[in-house]
Amino acid sequence: MIKDWWKILAVVILLYVLLMGFLVPLKPGIINVMPDSITAGDTVTLSVEGYNTHFNRSTEEIRAWLKLDERHAILAAKIEASGEGQVLSVTFYVPATLPKPKQVQETALIIDSPVDGSFVMPGAVFLKPNLSSAQADNAPWTRDQITGLHQVETFRYPYRNILYETIRNTYFHIPMWFGMILLFLASAYKSIRYLQRRREEDDLYAAALATSGLMFGILGIITGGIWAMYTWGEFWSFDVKQNVAAISLLIYMAYFVLRASFEDPDRKATLSAAYNIFAFVMLIPLLFVIPRMTDSLHPGSGGNPAMGGEDLDNTMRLVFYPAVIGWTLLGLWIAQLRFRYIRLRNACEE
Amino acid sequence: MKRRLALCAALFLTCVTCGFTQGEQQDFLRSMGKIYVVVAVLAVIFFILIAYLVYLDRKITKLENSIFNGREEQS
Repeated sequence: MIKDWWKILAVVILLYVLLMGFLVPLKPGIINVMPDSITAGDTVTLSVEGYNTHFNRSTEEIRAWLKLDERHAILAAKIEASGEGQVLSVTFYVPATLPKPKQVQETALIIDSPVDGSFVMPGAVFLKPNLSSAQADNAPWTRDQITGLHQVETFRYPYRNILYETIRNTYFHIPMWFGMILLFLASAYKSIRYLQRRREEDDLYAAALATSGLMFGILGIITGGIWAMYTWGEFWSFDVKQNVAAISLLIYMAYFVLRASFEDPDRKATLSAAYNIFAFVMLIPLLFVIPRMTDSLHPGSGGNPAMGGEDLDNTMRLVFYPAVIGWTLLGLWIAQLRFRYIRLRNACEE
Repeated sequence: MKRRLALCAALFLTCVTCGFTQGEQQDFLRSMGKIYVVVAVLAVIFFILIAYLVYLDRKITKLENSIFNGREEQS
């Protein structure tokens, strides 16, 4: 058995994560629909801008619907592709009567193609009622059923509006936090071991693991800020999850301040071990309880604090879980180097 | 040397933040489905990890120098 097999494993896994993270394309989706508001009774041609779409292939088989709700939708009358498969012109004869004649309603645009499969843009177009024929009528809206949607089985990541390609950050930003929590957990374990056995190595290892965990936390906050800049619009929007993450980092920074403020090695080790356990216990309400209790811009609001349920599909799981393992092992490696250095330095000073 | 390291880090962060503050218009990081946001995130991770390695490397060098009684101070 090779002694440092887990370091090799970390490198192999991270290589896999980098390759998969960058080479696997996104599923097709809709970037933009123009115009974004239409009136009942009109004949409208929507210009649809697709992403990773192939509208120019088998255009005659593409179908499109404007969907009002679960039971009400209309089928497109005419579909034309232009450009290199990114632009589609969809013509609808919008009925003059609506199921709910007084309201402006959001409609979703669904496109189904044998090449790209089916995809939807929720809230694509606002439908304004025609005030001259204001009676409720379901009939024109129930004629066309949405059936026979194509499923194309490809190994691709989900397409999300606003996120687009940044969904790949799932393999780089989120594992930083998973790694941080795991490293802090290992650090707390080493501190408990120190209080049990009073061996100086345990305390040094706890400090090294906390250093590497803190580094992952700082990386998580910076990468999260960059991601937020381009999806939420600001680097720091004082979102509850950003704030509790910053607080938990400050708690661990205080751990190092505490360590540095003692001369006597025994007192230093004992007190910082106790504080380290306390710090990890503080992480649990900060990172796992408070974010569940409030609204947040961050995915997974009200549920899992890290991710929304639909954002991580089975394709992404195949890369995401290895990414967590790979980054955590890298963190352990860094912690081990730090520990070895500190132990050598202490041995030299004696 | 520490100062130089801090300067490099500050310069790097300024460059990165300059890239961020280009505003809402269609800038470079928003092109091609925002793929360069992923590149920026990876670059930050890479540079901070490398910076930490350099820091550790320098401390180990210092330790080596003290152990070998300045034998390798010239190099």
